[in-house]
Amino acid sequence: MLKYSLRRLLHSLVTLFMVLTLVFLLMRLLPVEGYYGERADKLTPAQKEAILRKMGLLDPWYVQLRNFYLQLLRGDLGVSVIYRANVPVKEILAAKIPYSVAFGLGALVLSLVAGLAMGIHMAQNKGLFWDKFWTWYVVFINAVPGAVYLLFIQLYGTSITGLPMLFDRYNVRSWILPLVSMSLSGIAANAMWLRRFMVDELNKDYIRLARAKGMSSRAIMVKHVLRNAFVPLANYLPASILFTISGSIYVESLYSIPGMGGLLVTAISRQDNPLVQALVLIYSSLGILGLFLGDVLMAILDPRIRLEKQGGAR
Amino acid sequence: MMTAKEKEVIQAIEEQELFTFAQYDPEAAERTGYSDYSYWRSTIRVFLRNKTAVFLLILMTSLVAFTFIQPYLPGQKDPIKIHIDPNTGLQLRNHPPDKEFWFGTNSIGQDLWARLWSGTRTSLLIAIIVGIWEIVFGTFVGAIWGYVRPLEAFLTEAYNVISNIPTTIILMLIAYILRPSFQTMIIAMCATGWLGMARFVRNQIVIIRDREYNLASRCLGTPTGRIIVKNLLPYLVSVMVMRVALSIPGTIGWEVFLTYIGLGLPLNIPSLGNLLNEGRRVMMAPALRYQLFFPAVVLSVITVSFYVLGNAFADASDPRNHF
Amino acid sequence: MSEPILSARDVVIKFSLRGQTLTAVRGASLDLYEGESVAIVGESGSGKSVFTKSWIGMLDANGWVDSGSILFEGKDLAKFKTEEEWLTIRGKKIAMVFQDPMTALNPLRTIGSQIQETLELHQGLRGQEAKRRTIEILAQVGISEPEMRYRQYPHEFSGGMRQRVVIAIAIACNPRILICDEPTTSLDVTIQAQILELIRKLQKELKVTLVYITHDLGVVANVADRVAVMYAGEIIEYGTVEEIFYDPRHPYTWALLSSLPQLGIKGQPLYSIRGTPPNLFNEIRGDPFAPRNPQALKIDFVKSPPFFQVSPTHYAKTWLLDPRAPKVEPPEIVKAMRAKYERYAV
Ligand SMILES: Nc1ncnc2c1ncn2[C@@H]1O[C@H](COP(=O)(O)OP(=O)(O)O)[C@@H](O)[C@H]1O
Ligand SMILES: [Mg+2]
Repeated sequence: MLKYSLRRLLHSLVTLFMVLTLVFLLMRLLPVEGYYGERADKLTPAQKEAILRKMGLLDPWYVQLRNFYLQLLRGDLGVSVIYRANVPVKEILAAKIPYSVAFGLGALVLSLVAGLAMGIHMAQNKGLFWDKFWTWYVVFINAVPGAVYLLFIQLYGTSITGLPMLFDRYNVRSWILPLVSMSLSGIAANAMWLRRFMVDELNKDYIRLARAKGMSSRAIMVKHVLRNAFVPLANYLPASILFTISGSIYVESLYSIPGMGGLLVTAISRQDNPLVQALVLIYSSLGILGLFLGDVLMAILDPRIRLEKQGGAR
Repeated sequence: MMTAKEKEVIQAIEEQELFTFAQYDPEAAERTGYSDYSYWRSTIRVFLRNKTAVFLLILMTSLVAFTFIQPYLPGQKDPIKIHIDPNTGLQLRNHPPDKEFWFGTNSIGQDLWARLWSGTRTSLLIAIIVGIWEIVFGTFVGAIWGYVRPLEAFLTEAYNVISNIPTTIILMLIAYILRPSFQTMIIAMCATGWLGMARFVRNQIVIIRDREYNLASRCLGTPTGRIIVKNLLPYLVSVMVMRVALSIPGTIGWEVFLTYIGLGLPLNIPSLGNLLNEGRRVMMAPALRYQLFFPAVVLSVITVSFYVLGNAFADASDPRNHF
Repeated sequence: MSEPILSARDVVIKFSLRGQTLTAVRGASLDLYEGESVAIVGESGSGKSVFTKSWIGMLDANGWVDSGSILFEGKDLAKFKTEEEWLTIRGKKIAMVFQDPMTALNPLRTIGSQIQETLELHQGLRGQEAKRRTIEILAQVGISEPEMRYRQYPHEFSGGMRQRVVIAIAIACNPRILICDEPTTSLDVTIQAQILELIRKLQKELKVTLVYITHDLGVVANVADRVAVMYAGEIIEYGTVEEIFYDPRHPYTWALLSSLPQLGIKGQPLYSIRGTPPNLFNEIRGDPFAPRNPQALKIDFVKSPPFFQVSPTHYAKTWLLDPRAPKVEPPEIVKAMRAKYERYAV
């Protein structure tokens, strides 16, 4: 188990290294306007060149690459050029991250609770009314772009319930709609996967033995099916938070939440390259971390991986 | 219990006769078994059993046909022409739906009905280009990945790296780097779309390759390539159909997203994303909500329909559902 | 013989499949007597599993007992509808061991917990007591170091060991009837013999009534007192092991015996039955084996034969036993079998 996790960690670090390098290469392709800052129009070509030189962008590529790695090792994410000129990116992020984490975790909990309940309900009623009913929900959420239904939720959700239309950190009621909106796709995904995993388990041979033992359907559901279906679910869950990036970007901008998703959109639309680079690095690393955690979680839950290569009998 | 018919038959034949040997027919002995199986016939049979899917197939076929003939129908307006109010000489802004402008006009006086179908055409066009690229390039990479041993490790690692970066981020970056345009939109989506297809093809080839590897048939000279083509092709074709169907809701979703964050198509090209964005800008005025409502409904119907169709076809083409 | 403990009469079992109805068991009858061991043999697809599964209410969801009765402890199991009713029988009074031990156990739970679950369910044992009993049972089915094995997972067990665990689960609650559905089919030959040995030993120790299902007549002599031959959803011949091996009467039983490799005559090609079993979607008229029987009578194609008594324990369902029928000699192999069989059965 430990050995497995270490091996897996090593692999993740290699992937991370390659992803960072790829991001570096893409970043060199960014439009250079994104480095000039507020007064881009008024700058002379010489001034522009001076800015690029100062940022090290005119150095040979291998020097740039080395500096890129060194900066990252020092935890230096650069300095914003437009969004808040000359403010270190780290400082900007420090103000935003708490909101993103709060909403991310809130939506995670909500989508877990509601999604798993929905998935179980579907699996129990497989092929019957409720299965089909919730399947339509899943289909709708998966097929229709978030922008469409999120707009309508904001528009009619606020007028029907009287909840605030804009986020205000001191008003708890203003958290409700964004949280629910952010959870919708997670609920659909969790429900769909749990249903699929449970149905897979239900078709396995050991269920037949459990029935032959004289266990009730309910006991089999809880003690065998659900328990086993959690393993592949645990594998997919940590990375699933990232599937909702676009969702959080929509929701943060709709409700004016000062989080990282909104920041990414602003950084791109205002062409603030150092900020874009920092955010891309963070999101990519989170992706790798999510997949790593998923595999470790599965290894903890599944004895077949847990005991792998420890010389289990035969 | 004997049926009346049995009694008749028995009476007709002499009792003595009954206890003599019957003619043994080896053909009849074999005939008692089960009938043969055809992949495509079964696929179509299972698909047709799904009433919702059949209905949506008819609906979408008509809708797609309509979007392409709509400009040639009588009384249709130009989607980018700005209509002028003859009384005031100004742009006919936010004109509510009526006999003349079926879905009203937008905030600069363009006909929403014409724009909606023009936008649907654009979005479907992008989806089909991306979908075809996805299956062609995906199959190509998947085949190399599964078949060319020396490249296997490299491609596996490349796949890992690309699939580790969230798609949202890749799309945004490419759109940002290349500046928004029709081509950018297509390139960005093509850059990520093929991953799933490549992995599918690769997995299938590896399954067949590893199975065939030990088989005498290889020694007998049947090339693995032929075996793969013969075994994989029917299933591959149905996966391709499914991918193209599912790429429609997928690409429309990304187009809407990129447009939303300001990296979409230029405003002079109507697309579902652009129409939705225009509607969003005026949505706070209840009288103008039709500008959000019409695109949203058309977009939802199209994406849901193709999503259901793709999945229904995937189910139908899975041999496990054929028995 | 005394009263049967289970008596299945004219059981008809149907499945609905894609809008069509398939009859998997067409009027099978069988009596089980306390403490005996019965083998049910027949080609695969003949309905052996379906027939016995109906005794514990484990038909797949698309199947049902259409008619007939299954009397057990004064109740007609064929009339059972709800899960509650079945839970009083299943695993507790009648237990079943299935074919493939590799997939029969939950891979994510320890061996111990999966056996203990049954004890807790039916015998109300809890905690340490249940654990102690579980370890006892593990030892009883021949698993060494049961304390250590108790904590292990299925993937740490070989196929044969897993089948022992499945058997342990089945006998944990001292059932009255133990059904073993091809328990050795997917195991290596040497392991097969061990499992067979274990089942025989347990049957003697626990005095359980054993139903042993197999498509291999070869192993029958080792486990069974009586044999029932099944074809196309009917029991077509039954009798003691000796009667079925020495003196078979149904052409299908002849064919089955002739195809046994152990009984083949040197120098003669191995016999195999021609053709395939009938399509269960169709109505079958007459004797279902007739189309594959080179010596079928004309009446076989029009009228289903009744059971003819050969001895008080031996019955066969073939027109050949009708006094009006012509005399048909069994194949050479079957005739030569008597001598061979004596050496073979020991
Ligand atoms: N769930 C089911 N649906 C349809 N047909 C079934 C089902 N289960 C079994 N059958 C059919 O019943 C027949 C008897 O099956 P089975 O009892 O498993 O045979 P055996 O155990 O003798 O090999 C087979 O032809 C099989 O196809
Ligand atoms: Mg069977």
